[in-house]
Amino acid sequence: MNATQTIVVGYDGSADSTAALRWAARLSGALGARLRVVHAVGLLEHAGLLSEHVTVDGEKALEIAVGAGGDPERIEWSVVDGDPCSALLRMTVAPESADLLVVGSRGSEAHEGSLLGSTSLELAERSAIPVTIVPPVHKGENPAPV
Amino acid sequence: MRLIVAGPTGTIEHDGGTFHPEQQSRIFSVMDGIRALNLEDEIIHPPTPKAEWRDLTRVHSVAYLTELEAFCAKGGGDIDPDTFCRPDSWNAARRAAGAGLAAIASLEEHGDGVAFVPTRPPGHHAERDRAMGFCLLNNVAIAAASLTARGERVLILDWDVHHGNGTQSIFWDDPNVLYVSTHQFPFFPGTGRVTEIGGPEARGLTVNIPLPAGATGDVVRTAIDHVARPTIEEFSPDWVLVSCGFDAHQADPLGDLALSSGDFAELARMVNEFTPRPGRLALFLEGGYNQMALRVSVTDTLGALLGLQTQPSAPTYGGPGMNEIRAAVADRGRALEHPQTASLGEG
Repeated sequence: MNATQTIVVGYDGSADSTAALRWAARLSGALGARLRVVHAVGLLEHAGLLSEHVTVDGEKALEIAVGAGGDPERIEWSVVDGDPCSALLRMTVAPESADLLVVGSRGSEAHEGSLLGSTSLELAERSAIPVTIVPPVHKGENPAPV
Repeated sequence: MRLIVAGPTGTIEHDGGTFHPEQQSRIFSVMDGIRALNLEDEIIHPPTPKAEWRDLTRVHSVAYLTELEAFCAKGGGDIDPDTFCRPDSWNAARRAAGAGLAAIASLEEHGDGVAFVPTRPPGHHAERDRAMGFCLLNNVAIAAASLTARGERVLILDWDVHHGNGTQSIFWDDPNVLYVSTHQFPFFPGTGRVTEIGGPEARGLTVNIPLPAGATGDVVRTAIDHVARPTIEEFSPDWVLVSCGFDAHQADPLGDLALSSGDFAELARMVNEFTPRPGRLALFLEGGYNQMALRVSVTDTLGALLGLQTQPSAPTYGGPGMNEIRAAVADRGRALEHPQTASLGEG
């Protein structure tokens, strides 16, 4: 098996995606892999019309990643057009050709067992490369992938 | 020319709240735009029953349809940051898809005229097994598939500001559908490069014309003329369906192109040239989120097709994009000659 060279993590500024970012950064540092932090921009965010104000700060994301053990020389921040699932799936094919996708586990309003409304479940269903889903972090716990 | 209006639908159901730009009031603005034509009783309004399961499964997977119906039945929710479902969204989406089918049937019944389908939710982002970009069911694709099922050849021309990733992916390898899109790029949904030209069975039957922010109407018309027209004429469609988004208007809050309502009138005349005979042209509402722009654009687009004097605003000129068109012609030529350099665009 080839070594993991590129890890892509989805980041939207939420607590769950921050947990995923920390986990991916720690792994990339340990493996010496490149880490690409991807933020997908949809129709509403482009127009500044998201109902809940979300500020996604690339510099802060990079700080978090480095603080968690990522190599600053091997971390990149990317803003990509599209819905989160499509944007991340695009990272799995050339030219990016990621080896591993990492996402937080929260589905916004998903129903149990439904792909609709759950980016993580949808990615797990559709991705041709391994997907790590990092569960929510509770105080004092270390996040472990599921 | 006769005007058939298959709708409105989506005026009551599928309520995302007033904060969401894809809201019910869009349809009221569209209907105001139709009323401004002063055609009153001359407009034909065919009945618009919900699309049947067999119509939907030509385009969408059974698994997706089953899940969407169940998701709505359980109360719905947010599918992604843009796209919502409410308990009645399943029925609203089926009604929107059914309106497109009713438009086709009415055109065939009358043998002439032009049909307009003012419905919501819109459709062109919906893929075979995914909702996204405000779209649940792909209305124009469902109508096109009903035609190709009986051997007709269909041109889908998509002038929405966003690339119709769903329509492209559904007909990616279908030799009976020519998909042409002008859209802002780079932009949501991230697809629509000129090198996305179709699958092995339909090589060249996807024509993407990505345009930079600020592109004006003359750029869009030149793009269609230089990049798409030769393929359209060679394809020789039996039907022309338009993914008729008005969010390329300069006042739209979701897009950055710079068209006027007069540009949509010009585009409508252009599209009419591609129609093989009367009664083979239907326009499907997609985007358009500035209510005033939506209203006047509907009036001017339909007015142009019907030969009415609607006093549209002046067409726009001089925006960026002419260099991109020249590059698109060259890049498309290279992709057609060397398919291995073409992009995978089937979503």
